[in-house]
Amino acid sequence: MSPSQPLPPRENTLFKRILKCYEQKQYKNGLKFAKQILCNPKYAEHGETLAMKGLTLNCLGRKDEAFDHVRRGLRNDLKSYVCWHVFGLLQRSEKKYEEAIKCYRNALKLDKDNIQILRDLSLLQIQMRDLDGYKETRYQLLVLRPTQRASWIGYAMAFHLLKDFDMALKILEEFRKTQVTVKPFDYEHSELLLYTAFVLREAEMYTELLRHLDTYEHQIVDKLFIAETRAEVNLFMCDYAATEKYYLDLLNRNPENWAYYKGLEKARRASTEEERLAIYEEQAEKFPKAHAPKRLPLNFLTGDTFRQLVDTVLRESLHKGIPPLFVTLRALYEDQWKVEVIENLVVGYVDSLQSCEKFSPQDADDTKEPPSVLLWAYGFLAQHHDFLGNTTKGLDCINTALEHTPTLIELYVIKAKIFKHAGNISEAVKCLDEAQALDTADRYINSKCAKYMLRANMTKEAEEMCAKFTREGVSAVDNLNEMQCMWFETECARAYHRSGKWGEAIKKCHEIDRHFTEIIEDQFDFHTYCMRKMTLRTYVGLLRLEDVLRQHPFYFRAAKCAIEVYLRLYDKPLADSEEDQHDSSENLNPSEIKKMRNKMRKEKKKLQQEKERQRAQQERKEQHNKARQQNDEVEGPKEEELLPDKLARPSDPLSEAIRFLKPLQMLCPNSIETHILAFEIFYRKDKLLLMLQSIKRARGIDPNHPQLHLCLIKFLRKMQEQKGALPETVSAALETATNGMFSADSLTSLNDAYLQRNGTSLPHAFAAARVMSLLDPKSREGALSLLVNFNGTLEGKDSHVCADIVEAMKSNEFGVCQEKVTEFQAKCHKLFPNAIAFGSPPANCSSNHFNSSTVINDQQPDYES
Amino acid sequence: MNIRLATPEDLMNMQHCNLLCLPENYQMKYYFYHGLSWPQLSYVAEDEKGKIVGYVLAKMEEDAEDDPHGHITSLAVKRSHRRLGLAQKLMDQASRAMIESFGAKYVSLHVRKSNRAALHLYENTLRFSISEIEPKYYADGEDAYAMKRNLADFAKQVSMHARCRVFRRRSRLRASVNFKSHDVRLSV
Repeated sequence: MSPSQPLPPRENTLFKRILKCYEQKQYKNGLKFAKQILCNPKYAEHGETLAMKGLTLNCLGRKDEAFDHVRRGLRNDLKSYVCWHVFGLLQRSEKKYEEAIKCYRNALKLDKDNIQILRDLSLLQIQMRDLDGYKETRYQLLVLRPTQRASWIGYAMAFHLLKDFDMALKILEEFRKTQVTVKPFDYEHSELLLYTAFVLREAEMYTELLRHLDTYEHQIVDKLFIAETRAEVNLFMCDYAATEKYYLDLLNRNPENWAYYKGLEKARRASTEEERLAIYEEQAEKFPKAHAPKRLPLNFLTGDTFRQLVDTVLRESLHKGIPPLFVTLRALYEDQWKVEVIENLVVGYVDSLQSCEKFSPQDADDTKEPPSVLLWAYGFLAQHHDFLGNTTKGLDCINTALEHTPTLIELYVIKAKIFKHAGNISEAVKCLDEAQALDTADRYINSKCAKYMLRANMTKEAEEMCAKFTREGVSAVDNLNEMQCMWFETECARAYHRSGKWGEAIKKCHEIDRHFTEIIEDQFDFHTYCMRKMTLRTYVGLLRLEDVLRQHPFYFRAAKCAIEVYLRLYDKPLADSEEDQHDSSENLNPSEIKKMRNKMRKEKKKLQQEKERQRAQQERKEQHNKARQQNDEVEGPKEEELLPDKLARPSDPLSEAIRFLKPLQMLCPNSIETHILAFEIFYRKDKLLLMLQSIKRARGIDPNHPQLHLCLIKFLRKMQEQKGALPETVSAALETATNGMFSADSLTSLNDAYLQRNGTSLPHAFAAARVMSLLDPKSREGALSLLVNFNGTLEGKDSHVCADIVEAMKSNEFGVCQEKVTEFQAKCHKLFPNAIAFGSPPANCSSNHFNSSTVINDQQPDYES
Repeated sequence: MNIRLATPEDLMNMQHCNLLCLPENYQMKYYFYHGLSWPQLSYVAEDEKGKIVGYVLAKMEEDAEDDPHGHITSLAVKRSHRRLGLAQKLMDQASRAMIESFGAKYVSLHVRKSNRAALHLYENTLRFSISEIEPKYYADGEDAYAMKRNLADFAKQVSMHARCRVFRRRSRLRASVNFKSHDVRLSV
């Protein structure tokens, strides 16, 4: 098609050169050629040249000029598909995909068969999940380029994603027929056949699927896929003999795969304990090195059989000194009886090992166990007691173990964990700091230590700890952000939140949110790449993953933290000059922190000296990088810098909060927290219907949830307050929706009924007490005595709930009540003697075992490549 | 621990595990690149709750000059789950897939010269041997040992025919074209 503003031959040649330069990323040259055309007054306003100049400028990072030129070009030549295409590319580079699609569509109106524009359009459509649009574009591409593999695959995939399996399969089969000469072990062809199998499976066409696998087995190189699919499909079709065969094959491959054992159990229709156990015993004999056949039966065995097997497992592991023994058995602790069996066995070993160096005095074998076995047994018991909440017993065990061997890193990690659970985070940090000093080359210990520091709100120290493993020459925080290190950023956000550094907290939450955005952007290149590589099964898996990416707990935590901070900033906005509060490591012992900080400072000095040495080298490298960067294409728009001071003063905190809430409502509707957070936002926006919606959703998950109870009361109060002022439609809707939901005649009696129903649980009683205080200040006395006189047998009385209650009391939520606080704390101190929140811990709990600087090198394997 | 093939959903948790355990880190896109190029080669070890406690991230090297061979980009097991033999089990699964799906003759990897513990694991447990030293391989200037494990024996051990194949080098090269840059092309 001819351009709407044709150039004479000389200029036309120059224009073609601009295009070529753009494709070859020779942007400077491109600009030169553009200048040569535009300096001719006759063509100074030539649309396509201006547009191309703009596109080139964009690649050099001159965004404003770029838009300026492209817009001018387009205005001058609205009939040019080039101008529209270029404008689309520019919008795309700004990640304004909707806008870009519109531009491409305009370009295609002017040049409907332009392959490149159709391809670009299809990429945007799949990225935006405009599946119907994608299907149409892929159809046009197929018509225009019927000989290309990607044309067929793309069209088939469009139908697959739209769940039109029949069409997808037909197209795939048509295309397969054209592949007459398949070379042996052709990976891409193999992937194509696997994709067909994948579609057949989703279409639930099991007979056809098995036939497909039989027919093309020799061309499929992914043997695991064939075996797993056959096993699962045969099981589904109740062909048990075949299923058994395939699962036995699979176990030969990988005797540590739990699903294969499940499959085999089903294939053999094993139902009794004996039948099931027989399967595992058979496999254990076949694969003596495998853990799974020994471990898995413990899940379902009962009685003496359980006792015998767990006895064997415990003895073997303790004998070999397997540190993760406890974590491999932890899942059994749901069963109280099994817990007792395990405890009795291990306590028995300890007694016997102490007296006769054997697991049991009755053991016939006279060989003695090495002393390390006793050590591991203590270590196990420490974790056992900790898991059950007996922190004092746990500490006793771990201290005994540490007296035995003060250089074993694993013991410090266990001890740290016990302290953390006990509510004494500063002692926990000390333990892990000792552990990391024992093996400074182990990043896992380093990370754990940093994480605990963040739990103790020691953000600076945590940063310095992490810096030991981040790239030289860049700040640790920047490097961790670049590497999308979300555990660190989440823990930072929470630490800042607890410390009242609102802006810093929000910044971290935004960083995490941006990682998710970036990971969603990452898809873009794979739309083309996977079509070429033919790894379509996995590609579809990627698309589906990206659709629900923010379901990930990392996002949930960040969003929750951000919403909480925004709510706080709505309730109490910061003044312009006000700084974020600094430091509130309340539950830490100041002198301990000082000591720790001193130590860190010394370490930092050492580290700095080391860094100096490496700096010269680094500088060389950076210069090299700089030189490289200048030649590089500038990718994507520069993101706005996240400034804590600015973030802490949002103009509309609630809509910021809603931005974080939306993905939670979409992707995490089964979490009650989602709806409680939603409620808190809508409560502040006076949106009664949305509040009600949140409450209803939350009730569907746990109608007795303590926080939900508070929400409900706040909602009903607000509704009463606003009754007169509401539009009739709204109050009618509220009337019908709440009808029958809350039967009590007053809020007080509603609260009484709640307490009646849930009075045996401390968190619930706490919620009821807060409601009492909220509804009527006069009932604060009663609320307080409800809390202070709580029965020692209440459920859910963990140290965190109790600490929350102390906090609420101290903040005068129940009026000034210093005496009651003291009384309550004394009571909690008896229950949780090691928790800092309720008083000083007993003397035996400090963690100084030895001078950590004496032992540096430990020979634990550190697997890396 | 359950050992199984990694899926796209695992990749983010593998990145998390990597960041906890190892000094060499990568952005998510690099994990996607592995998962979407060689979906057969990466494996994870997970606990009862589905938490990733170890992984192997692997790829094929597409070097027309050399025999087809796999490469271990990253292997990590959380310290809390060591001594269960997970590293070896993960490596065995990945190596087997390299042989079966890609006809790999050997598998290679890099290890920091100073990381004696890892070196010990690779040499003694996983039967790798040092093939050469790559000076300044790591970002901080440290040298790496390039290590190799011949897969012929392993192929026999798992009772497979080490298949002699002629690979379509052409298609392989085409597929390995750099995927990274936003390759926006314009056709006029």
